[in-house]
Amino acid sequence: MRYTLSKVGLLLLTLWAAVTLNFLLPRLMPGSPADAAIAKLAQNGPVSPSTRAAIEAQLGVPTGSAWDQYLQYLNNVVHFDFGVSYTFFPQSVASLVATALPWTLVLVGFVTIVAFIFGTLLGVLAAWKRGSWLDTLPTVGGTFASAFPYFWTALLLLFFLGYVAGWFPTSGAYSSSATPDFSVAFLLDALYHSILPATTILITSLGGWILGMRSTMINTLGDDYVTFAEANGLHPRTVAIRYAARNAILPNLTSFGLALGGVVGGSLLVERVFNYPGVGYLLYTAVVNQDFPLMQALFLIITISVLLANFIVDILYGILDPRTRR
Amino acid sequence: MSLVSVQGLFVVYEPQGALPVPAVRNVSFDLEQGDFVGLVGESGSGKSTLGFALTGLSKPPARVSAGSILFDGVDIAGMTPAQLRVQRHGGFAMVLQSGMNALNPVRSIRDHFFDIFTAHGHVSKRDREARAIELVGKVELPASVLDRFSGELSGGMRQRVSIALALSLEPRLMVFDEPTTALDVLVQHAVMDTIRELQKSEKFTAVLISHDLGMVLEVTERVMVMHDGLVVEDALAAEILAAPQHPYTRMLLSHYGDPRAAVVEVPGLAARGGDRATDVAVAAAGNAPVTVTGDTLDTLEPVAAPAAPPASTVRRREGRAAREAIVVTNVSKIYQRPSRGEEPVCAVNNVSFTLEPGASMALVGASGSGKSTIAKLITGVERPTSGSITFGDLQIDTIKRRQLKRLHTEVQMVFQDPYAALNPLHTVEYILTRPILNFSRLRGRDARARVLELLETVGLTPVEQFAARLPHQLSGGQRQRVVIARALASDPQVIIADEPVSMLDVSLRAGVLALLDSLRETWGVSMLYITHDLLSARLVTDQIMVLNSGAVVEEGRTADVLQNPQDEYTIRLLEAIPHPTVGGLVQS
Repeated sequence: MRYTLSKVGLLLLTLWAAVTLNFLLPRLMPGSPADAAIAKLAQNGPVSPSTRAAIEAQLGVPTGSAWDQYLQYLNNVVHFDFGVSYTFFPQSVASLVATALPWTLVLVGFVTIVAFIFGTLLGVLAAWKRGSWLDTLPTVGGTFASAFPYFWTALLLLFFLGYVAGWFPTSGAYSSSATPDFSVAFLLDALYHSILPATTILITSLGGWILGMRSTMINTLGDDYVTFAEANGLHPRTVAIRYAARNAILPNLTSFGLALGGVVGGSLLVERVFNYPGVGYLLYTAVVNQDFPLMQALFLIITISVLLANFIVDILYGILDPRTRR
Repeated sequence: MSLVSVQGLFVVYEPQGALPVPAVRNVSFDLEQGDFVGLVGESGSGKSTLGFALTGLSKPPARVSAGSILFDGVDIAGMTPAQLRVQRHGGFAMVLQSGMNALNPVRSIRDHFFDIFTAHGHVSKRDREARAIELVGKVELPASVLDRFSGELSGGMRQRVSIALALSLEPRLMVFDEPTTALDVLVQHAVMDTIRELQKSEKFTAVLISHDLGMVLEVTERVMVMHDGLVVEDALAAEILAAPQHPYTRMLLSHYGDPRAAVVEVPGLAARGGDRATDVAVAAAGNAPVTVTGDTLDTLEPVAAPAAPPASTVRRREGRAAREAIVVTNVSKIYQRPSRGEEPVCAVNNVSFTLEPGASMALVGASGSGKSTIAKLITGVERPTSGSITFGDLQIDTIKRRQLKRLHTEVQMVFQDPYAALNPLHTVEYILTRPILNFSRLRGRDARARVLELLETVGLTPVEQFAARLPHQLSGGQRQRVVIARALASDPQVIIADEPVSMLDVSLRAGVLALLDSLRETWGVSMLYITHDLLSARLVTDQIMVLNSGAVVEEGRTADVLQNPQDEYTIRLLEAIPHPTVGGLVQS
């Protein structure tokens, strides 16, 4: 209990630090969004003071002391008020993020978890049946598949299964004719669209989990408590799962936390390739269009997701490893 | 019919891509119900391999290649793993060497018991809690231990738990593989007592595997001595003690001694006269300043040290004998616990002593007594919480980073584990060249000459061959000699040896100890010898300090203290040493 509380405290503290940094960074940078816009216009000729005033009025210029701005900012963050997007004017940043986030979380997040579970199981099997085909096949296959660059696998799948065979749609998260709701037809449509991006992520990340789990599992299989469990005549399955795998998974949880934290921020490439309307695609759009409010909100979301993922893994550790509870 | 009958057993190691190595060769013996048999040998003798084969635990690359192991008339050597598994209840159990690690760190002790009960189904769900409590009670642990995880238990408690777990199988044969080696001296004694009592009360057949012939002779009725895969001697303990037949057994026996005896010696290490009231080795080294550390200065008879190179080959250091004393005054070291609310640990409590130039002093105590912390404080690795440590004009307790190099030129460490102290990727020459370049002005050919000189000093000849070797090509004793040579590279005045022989086989110990001793005689270095082994302390030191929980409980001349211990803790340490025949071995 004390362990959980201390982890919650740590989470709140880092959250506050992240939010504050997110507030400070744009203000520490030279110039302002308005300056950037004016500089762009100035390339085509002099900018009149009235144009400047109009742009500043549109973007908003901070008023009040830094402290007041900070409090205002905190208040806005608590109410999910991140202002208005430049690119998708007049839509609010919050609504844009709210639309994009579920797509990313469901697609990338779900596939990351599935890849971890599946890869870990295969790794356990490979180590337990070391030297047999159950070992060779996943190990060699995993190494081979994860050696491909992410986008290249994606392009291969798109080309062969999308264009050539025409089995799967090549872009988007759902058919252009469908309207997002929770009907069975729409969900099936979304699932159909997610198969190619999901497969890409699975192919490229599975190998890492297999290899990681296999090597830690081989180490724990050599540990004395495994030998002792065998000497005591425990059932081989009990030895493999409760004694060896249960301990071997612990170091891999850290990598799992990193992978989970990277879900929101790391989805850019796959969503760009598949035109998938998630956070990564939104971030790409924001950066290309210099949409500062959108960017700032997305950075905050990415930071928070990393913090939350680490928090979850910390709690998992507390449950799985009695040594961390003390 | 015998409970166990081993006939013509061969076990080979078949590593992939390498030639098979026989580990156990043509071993035959019988064990009767209720026997308590010792299996003794040095590392690599095949004793553990045999123990694993006896309990059906041989795993690749080890393989039983010939012969049979009849357990209650059934050959277990040819059984499949599934058949073996069923045999383990009411059959054979094993307690591993490192009982510390024999428990799953993420399962509670209770789960360990329940796993075994579930696997064999010999204890019903209703009775299993009571049975687990009964079993931990047998190894003198409270029932509350069942709620714990292995990380929360001490080494001795963990080993007791694994004994209880093995016992829960209701075995007829129990194999104990070095059950107390990883434990602290005093705990070793207590755990061994428990094993003995259990063997009497539960009446299982027991095989005690150990490198420690002294302990085995004390505990068991019958002893098998293994050497190089062969059982070279198999006789009653009393017979082995009275008239060992095989030269190897005689060699092993000769390395035992009672540190309390009036005269203590082992082959390669002559006795330090128990009555000699001095320990001025520097005088023997020649032109060094004569320093008296004892009360009187007698003429020393030169101590023969056959394992060390002849004195003529060792270049004596001209005027480089130890000149300065290490003075430790009222030193304490308190470690703050990482988490709040826990009491800080006082590792060293108000310790004062002086290591005179050229003297040899032992620092003894059980683990946790603070002896290694003192080594860290003297070498400037850690700072004392209070008190002062000086070496000549160096104030070690407040030493600056820049002065550390000067300190380390004069004060060098020899570490406990020669297997971990050498970088496996570098040759001996490279390992020895580094400190020479760091600490001296010798370069190029001169540095190489110095490397060869050091190797000669520590008795690794032919020196050219040894210089080119990698650590894994050396035996444990040879590695420890390299470690010692490395410590000598800076031409230090003081050597701090932290359990330098505890990882070595008995037969190698004397050689390394003799080397350390001879260095002191011929080079005039002072030595602080840290150990829990009172016999070796008696052999190589003149002064002794006994530490308990960070405080000095007794100090004086080694021979006096060990012959007439005053403090209860010293007495307990002495009593924990196995003594098959109190003092009887020493005279042989």
